[in-house]
Amino acid sequence: MSDPRAALERALNPRTVAVVGDKRASGYMWLRNLSTFTGKVYSVQVDPRDIEGIQALGVPNYLSLREIPDEIDYVVCAVPRQVAPRVLEDAAAKGVAGVGMFTSGFAETGEELGRQLQETVAGIARQAGIALIGPNCMGVYNPRLGLRFSAEQPAGVSGPVGVISQSGTHAINISLVAAAHGVYLSKAISIGNAAVLDVPDYLDYLGRDPDTTVIAMYVEGVRDGRRFRDVLREVAQRKPVVLWKGGQTEAGTRATLSHTASLTSSHAVWQALARQANCISVDSLDELIDVLQLLLRAKPSAGRRLALLAQTGGQSVVLTDAFAKVGMEVPELTAESYARLAEFFNIIGGSYRNPLDMAGTVNQHPEHLDRIFAIIDADPHIDAIVMELSALFMARRWLQHPEQFADLVERLERHRARSAKPFLTVLHPGHLEAEVASLRPRLQERGIPVLPSFERAARALARVTAYQRARAELEAAPA
Amino acid sequence: MSTASLIAGARAAGRTLLNEVEAKRLLAEAGIPVAEAHLARTREEAERLAEAIGYPIVLKIISDDIPHKSDVGGVQLNLRDREAVGAAYDRILQNVRTRRPDARIAGVSVQRQAPPGIEVIVGLTTDPQFGPVVMFGLGGVLVEVLQDVAFRVVPLTARDAREMIREVKGFALLQGYRGAPPADLTALESLLLKVSELAQRHPEIAELDLNPVFAYPNGAVAVDARVVLTANAGGEP
Repeated sequence: MSDPRAALERALNPRTVAVVGDKRASGYMWLRNLSTFTGKVYSVQVDPRDIEGIQALGVPNYLSLREIPDEIDYVVCAVPRQVAPRVLEDAAAKGVAGVGMFTSGFAETGEELGRQLQETVAGIARQAGIALIGPNCMGVYNPRLGLRFSAEQPAGVSGPVGVISQSGTHAINISLVAAAHGVYLSKAISIGNAAVLDVPDYLDYLGRDPDTTVIAMYVEGVRDGRRFRDVLREVAQRKPVVLWKGGQTEAGTRATLSHTASLTSSHAVWQALARQANCISVDSLDELIDVLQLLLRAKPSAGRRLALLAQTGGQSVVLTDAFAKVGMEVPELTAESYARLAEFFNIIGGSYRNPLDMAGTVNQHPEHLDRIFAIIDADPHIDAIVMELSALFMARRWLQHPEQFADLVERLERHRARSAKPFLTVLHPGHLEAEVASLRPRLQERGIPVLPSFERAARALARVTAYQRARAELEAAPA
Repeated sequence: MSTASLIAGARAAGRTLLNEVEAKRLLAEAGIPVAEAHLARTREEAERLAEAIGYPIVLKIISDDIPHKSDVGGVQLNLRDREAVGAAYDRILQNVRTRRPDARIAGVSVQRQAPPGIEVIVGLTTDPQFGPVVMFGLGGVLVEVLQDVAFRVVPLTARDAREMIREVKGFALLQGYRGAPPADLTALESLLLKVSELAQRHPEIAELDLNPVFAYPNGAVAVDARVVLTANAGGEP
């Protein structure tokens, strides 16, 4: 009896994949998801009406896993639940490393038959040392290998974020929304009912995975809380872990029970655990994406003192409020900085106390932006820099004069590369959503964090700064 | 009596609740500062204990059936001499027998009345997933009405203890509100760490209530205490 955990490496990085039970009625969804897979794909299906369509896709079909004349690393199991134990037995006989079990109708139903079936498949997997993922899940996404669980997911382009999700929908959503912000994944694992392998097993794996430098999790509950506590504490010391806990309210907690049959603890205890492990708690998909952007694109800093660069007076006020509300500081600059700013700053309709109200200074003289950056970067009162980009006043002009936008991106990127201080931009779409959607990626692909509102930027920066602070404290005096 | 034999004794008697006297003995052995309490079963015993301990004295009813002692007239404060202690002993028994005739009475606890301090509470509960969890809050209305409490999962680090005290909204009260001297935060931190150690060493403790703890400019002391053991002898669920 070997340990299913030992099979994870091969299961998550397969060279061959077999889909068992894909069918016409679902539009051959799994084989289509795998159309980008760089290894070999096989199908197992016994229904002649479905086989026809599978062969039309150019995928070799067999009547059983055992008949495939090749070693199989990973199996996608999409059969009706009563057939699942047989597929597991075949996988065991075949020496398969991992099974992603899309099939549902197990413990999450709350009925006895479902529970028994789950115990049966789990027992076979444990006995055979198969990394059973799920059941009731989407399985493994490995973008580098083009192994996908949604045809929307990017293939061939990978990144440093490892994702564990107790929900298939959130796993897909995280991968897609992250990609829309130019944030790419190393792997995503949708873990479903976690009958054999649970959150701590995947967390431990991603903690050791060299392709993963940041871990993001959507979790509703865990079976072995004490092990989760220990693994989380250990992994979070080495890699940032972002935790999105589902079921934060009493009503939400009830929903998790029918979703993945998870045991639940009070949200207060989860929050305590997150603090103790120094993992970054987020409350939504948006926050998760915002935090990832900062972790990957902003330089790390434990300091709370901000320079705020706004385009107009009204925005400089609400920008300051947003950051002050989450406990960040907006201090005065040094006398030297003020003296240098006074040399060129246009104070008619503008101001440079901090926040800086600077449209009147930089619109006619883009090179003044470089001077502002240089002064603030050198200012010892300032730990991080936040800059408003105004869609309202600029988006149309940038689209009409792409060279002006390119020039701005160039200046921002130069600053970002040179400065050791965190730098982020806020680009609220306002009434120009389509225009901003076309401009934003051009900043993000150059490594500049772009947040969609002052409030979201403030929350994300506060969370990441608190994380860096605790990290610095823990490194200075290990507890 | 050692912690292990206290626990074994309660189990042998089929009890999961340790009374104030037992709970404080267990806590004292774990290095947690308590206002030591002694059990008196007669008026004469209470008087003798009071003479030995010194005044002022507090008497409290000890009964597994009475969790809220003062609600039934089971607490007598500020007793300054032998005569007052004796009369208070009789009064407590009379109150309890009138208001809760069915209650099984183990006796009356006799202890030195602790000088007033800032009231905080320290608790330990067992979370179904993560095991023992330590709770800290400011006493009285802040805990009961506002639920102004902080949690940490055992084992606590020094940093956890430091942070959870500062996390409650009422923290300012401990820093010397309106000219009052600040509470000894180091003593509170040490108390929290000792509760965490106790929970680690004795997984058979399911719940612990130190309510209240008096925080002083120098030190802190648990004035009342209650311990609940797990239902099964194993401890770990």
